[in-house]
Amino acid sequence: MTDKAEGALTKAQNLYENRVARVRELANEGKKVIGYFCAYTPVEFLTALDLVPYRIQGGVGKPLKQVDQYLETIVCPYVRSCFDLALGGEYDFLSGMVIPHTCDAMHRLHDIWKYHLNPPYTYCITVPHMTHEASFEYFRKELELFQQSLESFVGRPISKEKLAEAIELHNRSRALLRELYELRKPAPPLLSGTESIQVLVAGMTIPVQEFNELLEGVIAEVRSRSPGSDSRPRLIVVGSEIDDVAMVRLAEDSGASVVMDDLCTGSRAFWKDVDTTKDALTALAERYLGGITCPCTFRPGKLDQRFSYLDDYIRDWNVQGVLFYTIRFCDTYQLDGPELQEHLEIMELPVLHLEDDYIKPPLGQWKTRIEAFLETIEARAQE
Amino acid sequence: MTQEAREKTSSRKSTESAGKIRTVVKRMYQKAQQAKEEKRKIAYCMVMCNYEEILEAMDIVQVYTENYAGLCAVKREAEQYMDKARAEGYSDLLCGYAQVGIGFDALRHELGEMPPDAPDGGMPDPDMLLGCTMGCDPRWKWYQALGRYTDAPVYNIEVLMPPSDADMDAIREHSVRYMAEELRGLIAFLEEQTGRKMDYDRLMAIIRQVEETRWWWQQAYELRKAIPCPMSTQDHFVLFVPHHMMLTDDFTLEFYKGLYDELKERVDNMIGAIEDEKYRLLWGVGIPPWHSMYILDYFLNFGAVFAAETAYMIPEPFEIPPDVTDPVELIALRAFERNSALQSRGKQAGGVPPLAQAHLERIRDFSIDGVVMHVTRSCRASTMGQILVRNVIRDYYPKMPVMFMESDIVDVDTYSEEETKNRIDTFMEMVAAYKSSAA
Repeated sequence: MTDKAEGALTKAQNLYENRVARVRELANEGKKVIGYFCAYTPVEFLTALDLVPYRIQGGVGKPLKQVDQYLETIVCPYVRSCFDLALGGEYDFLSGMVIPHTCDAMHRLHDIWKYHLNPPYTYCITVPHMTHEASFEYFRKELELFQQSLESFVGRPISKEKLAEAIELHNRSRALLRELYELRKPAPPLLSGTESIQVLVAGMTIPVQEFNELLEGVIAEVRSRSPGSDSRPRLIVVGSEIDDVAMVRLAEDSGASVVMDDLCTGSRAFWKDVDTTKDALTALAERYLGGITCPCTFRPGKLDQRFSYLDDYIRDWNVQGVLFYTIRFCDTYQLDGPELQEHLEIMELPVLHLEDDYIKPPLGQWKTRIEAFLETIEARAQE
Repeated sequence: MTQEAREKTSSRKSTESAGKIRTVVKRMYQKAQQAKEEKRKIAYCMVMCNYEEILEAMDIVQVYTENYAGLCAVKREAEQYMDKARAEGYSDLLCGYAQVGIGFDALRHELGEMPPDAPDGGMPDPDMLLGCTMGCDPRWKWYQALGRYTDAPVYNIEVLMPPSDADMDAIREHSVRYMAEELRGLIAFLEEQTGRKMDYDRLMAIIRQVEETRWWWQQAYELRKAIPCPMSTQDHFVLFVPHHMMLTDDFTLEFYKGLYDELKERVDNMIGAIEDEKYRLLWGVGIPPWHSMYILDYFLNFGAVFAAETAYMIPEPFEIPPDVTDPVELIALRAFERNSALQSRGKQAGGVPPLAQAHLERIRDFSIDGVVMHVTRSCRASTMGQILVRNVIRDYYPKMPVMFMESDIVDVDTYSEEETKNRIDTFMEMVAAYKSSAA
């Protein structure tokens, strides 16, 4: 697969640009590729059965063609874009789809996807919104049923050893990503926010073994870079789903360094490992339900209890400002947003809220706002 | 549509039962305000969370915030609260009910007292905020957002909505166990808040009464299959109020018995909700435009009655199994059976999505000639899937006309009367053609 002469970052960039290229190859070789949404899908089960997990992405900048005949205009534009691509055949290599019930859009998309596209395999995992003790017990059972469903689809069981091996592989992937994110701590960071997204998206499109190999190459390549000396405003991007570099690249072209994220396609998907000392199903239930800080899971308490995990990112990555990125029609983020901003403002961090329609980001309008935002940060730094 | 049809006038015979509701609603808020003065515990609630009997058994006063938002919209007084929510940083695309509710509480917090001229005297200041996961995301997110304006504790419970393709026999046991644990957690929370212990015998008695209430409402609803239809959707959208907001009251049981008697008499005497019923419509999924409900009467001009709906549906029939003696387990089992019934029937029908299954059943059972759905800008949960439903209806009834009305549940600015009437005109032409071709 790997062209040894090709740099790892270049390879990641190529995978980012041609997101279905590798999985199409694999599908042509007879591998079963399973599409999935959300950071809550426990991909370990797929890997353990030698299925290739492929995280479904939309097409920023790609005009919608058919989706209006199937999905309402007032629903999540990311979901609309994904479904439009699927209708157009972009995902015709998939042998199945896994859609967890995380938010309203995901819940309803499952039936729409199944009825209109009718893939050979579909599964909707019920992910509790609550995190009571009973929620974990329930989720563990749901994962057991998901495992059985996949085993039935493939026609063979997952051995304990295979599942443990898959957990190790994905934990390795998470550890490598965290190691890579360490390289964003220096000023200036050794890896840009734009490159980071390219690497993350690349990882969604290839088997975990290949991604780990790629990450090792990327880390080595980034480590070999010479430290710079400029002092650009350091930003964290907080929000839901970003699978395109447009917004982050705009911020970086405008003079910022995007050094950290709290995104479901970013740190949220890999910050916590699966505990390998516990029974696998219990550990997976704990990791996926308890270890992902998405607003689709209820986190009780006041502001500092709910959002304090961000404090560590802000301190450790020396963050000076926050890009709060939301996608239109997202109730869960719209309801958390003002409180999240309040928490960040208590920490005296400037926040810029950018609401996106996903299909066609308003980059021109954002450019002006981002530039003004960076000026605010620089002015504060000089105070 | 012809000018003649536009100018033709017709009237709707509203039920006497529906005529009582406005007084009932006013009294409900008065009682809640009085309860606050008496220092009884007030809970903000969401409808259909399956905790109504538990709250009643603990003598907690239930105030339904979504429906208060609907009331504000009906009275065209929602805007001030939506403006306040937006000033507080909430998006104008957020659930309209949540916008109104958050704006209301933000305003009360700012003023330090009940907002002046609040419809029906306003919602009393809550002592606790009780959400649930049934239905949509805002129903368990909204109350946490109120933490900016009140120190009342939030307690949410999980009410599961099983996936359409789940093996119900495989998931029943652990789903029921989970929901029962969630209810027990709520009871523990309520006991802590009130300093009282739950009376489980009383709880069981309340559950039995609630199921009797629902049985009568179901019986009354079935009468709408008659031709002519004795009651229209316009009435349904007020008649659901006692069930959804006063479920455990003795009044509510008697109310639906009275509704049954009234509709039975109409059916026995061939009295329809409108004179000269020509067409029977289904109000499909989509919460109605509370700000402009009168538009539904425009359909009367064409001789069309809304004979059924899939919004604010009556819960699926449920018989209390004699072997289930734990009332908490019973509520959990009931929630599971009700929330999985359409999925099971859809699967039996060959893979019909549950939302569409509800429509196909009503089209068949209520002799429907056309379907109207309301695309609501701020309510994704009741809007996403409408096109799927339309597409499934087309697969089963290829010529059945389906209309999408567009506005919002509360925001009147999203509504264009002229455009809506034009759409209705075109739709009714299609319904007429469909009906004559079917004949």
